[in-house]
Amino acid sequence: MAKTKKIVYLSLLVAGGVALHMVESMIPVPFPVPGAKLGLANIISLLAIVLYGTREGLEVNILRCFIGSFLGGSMSSLIYSLSGAVSSTLVMGIAVKYFENVFSLVGVSILGSVTHNFAQVTVASVILSTFGLYSYLPFLMVVGLFTGVFTGLAANFAKDKLSGSLGLMETVDRRR
Amino acid sequence: MLTKGDKILIATVLLLAFAIFTGFQIYGFTGGKTYAVIEINGKEYQKITLGKDGPKMQLKVPGVIGDVVLEIDRDRVRVVSSDCPDKDCIRQGWVSRPGQTLVCLPNRVVVKIENRESTSDLDGVSF
Repeated sequence: MAKTKKIVYLSLLVAGGVALHMVESMIPVPFPVPGAKLGLANIISLLAIVLYGTREGLEVNILRCFIGSFLGGSMSSLIYSLSGAVSSTLVMGIAVKYFENVFSLVGVSILGSVTHNFAQVTVASVILSTFGLYSYLPFLMVVGLFTGVFTGLAANFAKDKLSGSLGLMETVDRRR
Repeated sequence: MLTKGDKILIATVLLLAFAIFTGFQIYGFTGGKTYAVIEINGKEYQKITLGKDGPKMQLKVPGVIGDVVLEIDRDRVRVVSSDCPDKDCIRQGWVSRPGQTLVCLPNRVVVKIENRESTSDLDGVSF
């Protein structure tokens, strides 16, 4: 029973992530930096990591990337978002697990977004076989800093509400 | 809400971004070789490999209305003299980074700095 509930909850997170992924692709990016984006779906990966763990965070994020790219994207966008998602989820998972008292969720989110940028630039420069793309990295890092703070704050507020309702469901279940 | 670790992280990221930015500004992109491609009237006339062990010489390029004398100094190129009325090409000074160009419009002489990476066989890239 607990397993089914977990699957349902993780699927809800994936669905939320896909929705944010789609919404985000409709928002025009106000920065003149190619590749820069808000990273709204990162809120969901952070939540999955905090509420369940790194493994579940990876599952949610990878599924989100596949479904999101199938619904609105291309093969190349799948490669970019997968590489960024996997690496940033791993780094954020480690940060949540081992450096919980050093970083708040805002810090974890910044770490995630910078890792995401780095992974994407690396993949892009491997695909294009030029390392000049790394000159984009500083701009992406600064943009990622702001969006990271934003998604971190959003995840922080959502976390309290969600863990409350999660706990509620658990207690209801136990009473039966 | 921000912990001390967060603030240190933000400062580190900003510093790192600044360091990479200035690094690229100062050293440019030094992967691979750079070439000076000299074109007359749109046709390639000569291609010279630049770099630390590049040539140190002057080159006379026959333009449409007269000669353009280029000076090549290891990794940079400039126009020394030109038989054109406005001398804009001389005023452009030294060029060395990929993407930079020297143009003498009356003589139809263009010097482009290129590197091998920038002339890739990809037509376009999507993100």
